[in-house]
Amino acid sequence: MPTAFPLPSDLSPATVTNTASLLRIVALSLISGAAIASRLFAVINFESIIHEFDPWFNYRATRVLASKGFYEFWNWFDPTAWYPLGRVVGGTVYPGLMATSGVIYNFLHALNLPVDIRNICVMLAPGFSALTAWATYMFTKEMKDESAGLLAAAFIGIVPGYISRSVAGSYDNEAIAIFLLMFTFFCWIKALKLGSALFGTLAAVFYFYMVAAWGGYVFITNMIPLHGLVLILMGRFSSRLYVAYSSWYAIGTLSSMQVPFVGFQPVSTSEHMAALGVFGLLQIVAFTQLVRSHVSSKQFQDLLFLALITVGLLGFVGVVGLTYKGVIAPWTGRFYSLWDTGYAKKHIPIIASVSEHQPTAWPSFFMDLQFLIFVFPAGVVLCFHQLRDEHVFVIIYAVMASYFRRRHAVAFSSLLDTYLDAAEPADAAAEESTSETSATNGASGAAATTATSSGSKKAKKGPPPAGTTALTDLVAVKKGDKPKGIFGLDTRLAIVMNAFGMLAFFVFHCTWATSNAYSSPSVVLASTNPDGSQHIIDDFREAYYWLRQNTPETAVVMSWWDYGYQIAGMADRPTLVDNNTWNNTHIATVGKAMSSTEEVAYPILRKHDVDYVLVIFGGLLGYSGDDINKFLWMVRIAQGVWPEEIQEPNYFTPQGEYRIDDHASPTMKNSLMYKMSYYRFAELFGGGPAQDRVRQQQVPKVGPTLDYLDEAYTTENWIVRIYEVRKEDLLGRDLKSANAFAKGKKRKRSKPVSRRRPIV
Amino acid sequence: MVRWCTASLLSFTLFALASADSFENTAIVRTVELGGSLVQVTTTFAVKALEANSKVYTVALSDAEKQTASWLEARVKGQPNVLEVADRGPDSKFAVPFQHTVSFLIFYSGVHLLDISLPQPLGLNASTNIVLETIQTHATYPWPERASQQDPQGLKYKTDLLVLSPYRTAVQRTKIRSPSPSVHSYTTPENVGDFTLDAPVTKSGATITYGPYNNIAPSANEKFISKHQQPVFIHYDYEYPVLQIPKLKRAAEISHWGANLNIQDDIHLRNAGPALKGHFSRLEHQTQTFYKRSAPHVIPGLTLHLPAGIRNAYYYDLNGNVSTSRLRTAPSVPKNAQANQYSLLELRPRYPIMGGWNYSFTLGWDSPLADSASVDKTTGKYIVQVPVWTPIPASVVNEAEVKIILPEGATDVEFATPFPAVSSAMSTHITYLDTVGRPTITLHFKDLTERHAQPIFVSYNVPLSAHLKKPIAVAVAFFSVFAFALITRRIDLRIHKN
Repeated sequence: MPTAFPLPSDLSPATVTNTASLLRIVALSLISGAAIASRLFAVINFESIIHEFDPWFNYRATRVLASKGFYEFWNWFDPTAWYPLGRVVGGTVYPGLMATSGVIYNFLHALNLPVDIRNICVMLAPGFSALTAWATYMFTKEMKDESAGLLAAAFIGIVPGYISRSVAGSYDNEAIAIFLLMFTFFCWIKALKLGSALFGTLAAVFYFYMVAAWGGYVFITNMIPLHGLVLILMGRFSSRLYVAYSSWYAIGTLSSMQVPFVGFQPVSTSEHMAALGVFGLLQIVAFTQLVRSHVSSKQFQDLLFLALITVGLLGFVGVVGLTYKGVIAPWTGRFYSLWDTGYAKKHIPIIASVSEHQPTAWPSFFMDLQFLIFVFPAGVVLCFHQLRDEHVFVIIYAVMASYFRRRHAVAFSSLLDTYLDAAEPADAAAEESTSETSATNGASGAAATTATSSGSKKAKKGPPPAGTTALTDLVAVKKGDKPKGIFGLDTRLAIVMNAFGMLAFFVFHCTWATSNAYSSPSVVLASTNPDGSQHIIDDFREAYYWLRQNTPETAVVMSWWDYGYQIAGMADRPTLVDNNTWNNTHIATVGKAMSSTEEVAYPILRKHDVDYVLVIFGGLLGYSGDDINKFLWMVRIAQGVWPEEIQEPNYFTPQGEYRIDDHASPTMKNSLMYKMSYYRFAELFGGGPAQDRVRQQQVPKVGPTLDYLDEAYTTENWIVRIYEVRKEDLLGRDLKSANAFAKGKKRKRSKPVSRRRPIV
Repeated sequence: MVRWCTASLLSFTLFALASADSFENTAIVRTVELGGSLVQVTTTFAVKALEANSKVYTVALSDAEKQTASWLEARVKGQPNVLEVADRGPDSKFAVPFQHTVSFLIFYSGVHLLDISLPQPLGLNASTNIVLETIQTHATYPWPERASQQDPQGLKYKTDLLVLSPYRTAVQRTKIRSPSPSVHSYTTPENVGDFTLDAPVTKSGATITYGPYNNIAPSANEKFISKHQQPVFIHYDYEYPVLQIPKLKRAAEISHWGANLNIQDDIHLRNAGPALKGHFSRLEHQTQTFYKRSAPHVIPGLTLHLPAGIRNAYYYDLNGNVSTSRLRTAPSVPKNAQANQYSLLELRPRYPIMGGWNYSFTLGWDSPLADSASVDKTTGKYIVQVPVWTPIPASVVNEAEVKIILPEGATDVEFATPFPAVSSAMSTHITYLDTVGRPTITLHFKDLTERHAQPIFVSYNVPLSAHLKKPIAVAVAFFSVFAFALITRRIDLRIHKN
């Protein structure tokens, strides 16, 4: 291995290898430690809790797996989700994440380490981030060398783009998928380099794991064939490629079909056709090569080449034809939205309403990647320097990633980092000619990895010895090149300081971004007391716990789908819709109930056995993610199914404003959502002006009345409001007149009260 | 037949002690302190012996009284020593054989006899005052059964008019004291002309007095009860929430290596007051809190006295940490010293607990083992005291399970409970770094009150080898990992050696 310093001659090679190996292990452990530690802000600032929405489902499923065993989990039909339809969980879930936690759980318990399943789930993502760092190291080592690998590992360990999806508690598929992605690519590169069927099979095994863990496996499914195709087109076909690809594809595809949720998709959907096509192409090319080696005729070779292209074209036409005829499923809407940001907004409101599916804003790239974003192009350029097969892979990855940046922010960052590895050479390339004093770098202990990597980089390029005596022994490899470059100590120092500064700021930025932006569980909100201490706003859990403890276990709760998983996880009650948005009509039904009048909504609620309706209202506290702000999505989704009953423009004022105050449109004011949000809200202000702090508007003094629902519970800060659906009147009256009667109002015989207007 | 005879013979001697002419009650005063979950009943018997060398005094409780009395203590008035009380058990099974032998004492279910052993035998015509103190649980019930957020909280208490006794009673009275003067109603007894000519009941302030009733014949028999006994109802206002703990699970884990006693309580709390009528309105609750006029049946929070010197207290529920509470810890108190300082926990549930609502949570803490453990110098055994429970004031625990987890390898385990447990069992609990598991004592209790918060004493031996088990296990585990790494690094499994 290249070293920056000449080694003392009296050392045995074994000692050198062992020492280097030890140093690498220590460096990797430190990197893993840093990767894990920086993800613990969420636990330290808050607590060991599952974050956000989807993780709550994964956690719930994992608990089933841990308590009832894998078989039960596999056959789990959950009657409480999507009431009254239920959900076949075992067949509609990527089980990799839960299985991983289950295995860890059982393993620890077998060792008499009774770790709570929640803690395993919370700590899974940080744990796997350490593995990701290791996988990145391995990957980059294949690209370049160990030092670059360490640097890349350090980068991916703390880069905020990855941390944002893998903080402690963010128990989502990405938690393990990024590691699997990285490791599959490593195995692929290794297989390609060695032409090894073993590594090809390993790549297939990890590909299978990835398929079982995350829908993003399609990325690998297309990435590796693309790489293979580009290599063939570049005339780089080799038996190594043939062995690696064939072993990966055959085993990987067969095993991936074992995941119930994937099933026969690998042979029937367009997303997977590229892999199949390249597999076929490889066979043809290999056959051609075989024939050529026997025939050795220039013309024959040309002929074969032609035949090859014809067959390829035919295959393509065949696939297109089959797709057209419907044998192969056309690409799904979600997939289109990946390619075309505008697609979702135009066609599928439910997809567009998911924040994850929104295109990433440019500033967030800097937020997530900081200076990596600048060295990224340089890294790509450097890959061209020494264009081996694996570098082609990285370049393709780069192109793909910048295109897919929207959804694949994570993958992107990870890719970036793989770059980094390559990019660091870029970095080094700029400075290495100055033959930096790695000694100074090394002295600053924080950047030990930097030191080794930049040192080695320099060594690799073999810059000439510097003039100063202190630096004469800097050079490891002397190839007798003519010395060229910058030799002044000041210049070198400037570059070193610059590089060091960039790295240091990167660390600061990552720490800052992680602790401030990415470590909030979003189940718990934090604010600050006047004395500076932390104040926890815990309304969500308050409401869910109330539901759990004080309602019958079979009480059906209706809420917007965002809260479905949380209700199932924390309140343990059946829900109408949840974050697994598979049934658009069901969601639209909830949307319709929320956006229509009480009279219209009531039969819907009763038909779905709804006992409680839960809404999120941030008006008192200024919590902007509440249901009134999401309301237009409900309207839009409902409009998609009932266009003649729900019309979006009715919810705006004639001036086209979205208002909730006195000027709000009558449709808005009579909608169930509006009524539930503002029910008795104005009274809280004791006659003073009632201010909605999210929308900065004054709520009407006389609030809405409810005839078909009863307020059942409101949390401390009014964020969650729960209403109970009233049963039909025992005397057969409609509830509105029953209510009016109970309040002692006289029924006007001559002029019946219009049904439309609420009784004041 | 033979067994019958011996049983009846034996019982005869027992019952002979309780015969009607061995004692006479010169006066009985029963004081009932009404409360929410707990009602304290103090009965003072002024006793005169009619026989020389009378040693056992028998008191009678009705079945209902016996069932609700979760704590019972007898002492001679003014003396600190508690007298021994022997329970004769449910009398019905004794009743049949006795009908033949003891004609004047016909017992049926409905009366429960307790024998109190006097500290010294009374001579003829000597007198003494015996105080019987009971704490009744589940003796009150909300009335009306539902109350809205603004309504006051009314409770009803039912008791019997007369204090039963197997002896003749010269005079007796019952004083029932309500916590507030607003007593909505009380029963006026009828047909008590045999005992009194005055008003059978008088009320002054918060106290209702039944009696005095004179010249009562031995009353612990069915004939008297069916003729004279009658129920008395008091309906009164109670201004504090009625707390009930349907289920309490306590796990106390003793760690010698950590010098730590960890106590964890899984508490299921329930507001046993009137169920909430209609629905909970946050607006009303906030208004009431703002004007400091909270409804009497709301539990906004609890103040608990935890032991001094605790650390790492935690309070969470099924949904995670509950961060609304405050804890003020007091410094550790040496063992056996009178602790006058407590760690104060102001515990706030996630939501105010309205009538009929439930709230379950977990509360735990670490405390220095030295505060509750000692070594018996003579035998070398460790003795650890673990309280049965940490009282939540004015509450009753319906069912409690106390688990005491001893250090791994503890032998010769013995334990003593301050009062008999419903059941006890030994098992093995396996936790962190254990190889064979820890011996565990599981005890079940019923109807615990503040008075029951007494220590359970556990003594055990831990041999040195058991102490060393953990470090050896850990060392072996680490060593095997390193050895494995050592070997794998040196083994070459390649088929083609390059």
